[in-house]
Amino acid sequence: MIEIGRMCVKIAGRDAGKKCVIVDVIDNKTVLIDGQTRRRKCNVNHIEPLDAVLKIKKGASHSDIAKEFSKLKLEARETKPKKTAAKPVKSRKKKEKAELKEAGKEPKKADKKGDKKK
Amino acid sequence: MPSGRYKSRTLRRVFRRVPSSKIKLQYRKRKPRNAVCGSCGALLKGVPRERPYKMRSMSKSKKRPQRPYAGNLCSRCMRKKIIAIARTGA
Repeated sequence: MIEIGRMCVKIAGRDAGKKCVIVDVIDNKTVLIDGQTRRRKCNVNHIEPLDAVLKIKKGASHSDIAKEFSKLKLEARETKPKKTAAKPVKSRKKKEKAELKEAGKEPKKADKKGDKKK
Repeated sequence: MPSGRYKSRTLRRVFRRVPSSKIKLQYRKRKPRNAVCGSCGALLKGVPRERPYKMRSMSKSKKRPQRPYAGNLCSRCMRKKIIAIARTGA
C-alpha cells in the first residue's frame, strides 16, 4: 500500500483530514508527503492510504504535484513567499560609543541600575 | 471564623501570599468542569479549565489544539472519524 504516488489522507496533527501524495519512501516507517499538506516527512501510521495512485517520479517537485492535483480538482498547498519588510535596524552612533569608552563603563551601568529601581 | 456567606462551599478556597507577606485565605468562584470528548467522554488535553472571562482573554491557539475537531473530540476519536470518512469516500 505504501508506494510512491499513493494518495493518502493525513489523520494526525494540524494537517489531519487533508489529502497528500507519497513522494518518497524514506524507510519502513517514514515517508515524504506533499499536496494539500505541507511537504514533510511523515510517519506511516499517521496517514491513511486511498485507492488512487498518481504517476509521479520519486522525489517529484511541488510544482509537479500541484499539476497532478489540479487534474483531480484538488488544490495543493501553496506557501506564500515571505515578505521581507525593511525593518529599521537600530544602530548606535559610532561617535557616542567612542565617547562612552573614554568615559568608562562603570558610571553608565550604575545609572541603569538606578533607573530599574525607579 | 469565616463570615456567614463563606461558610458554604460554593466558593473555592485559595491560599495567596498578600502584599503584607502573609499567607491568607481568599475565596474564588469555582472553575467549570473539564472539557470532555464528545464521543468517548475522555478528558480533553490542551483545553484549559477556566472561567469564561479568562477564556475570552486567551488567544485562540491557547484554548484548543490545532487540528480538526479540536476542543470537541479527543485525538483518537478524531482519527477514527477521519479514517471512516476517507474509507467511505474513496
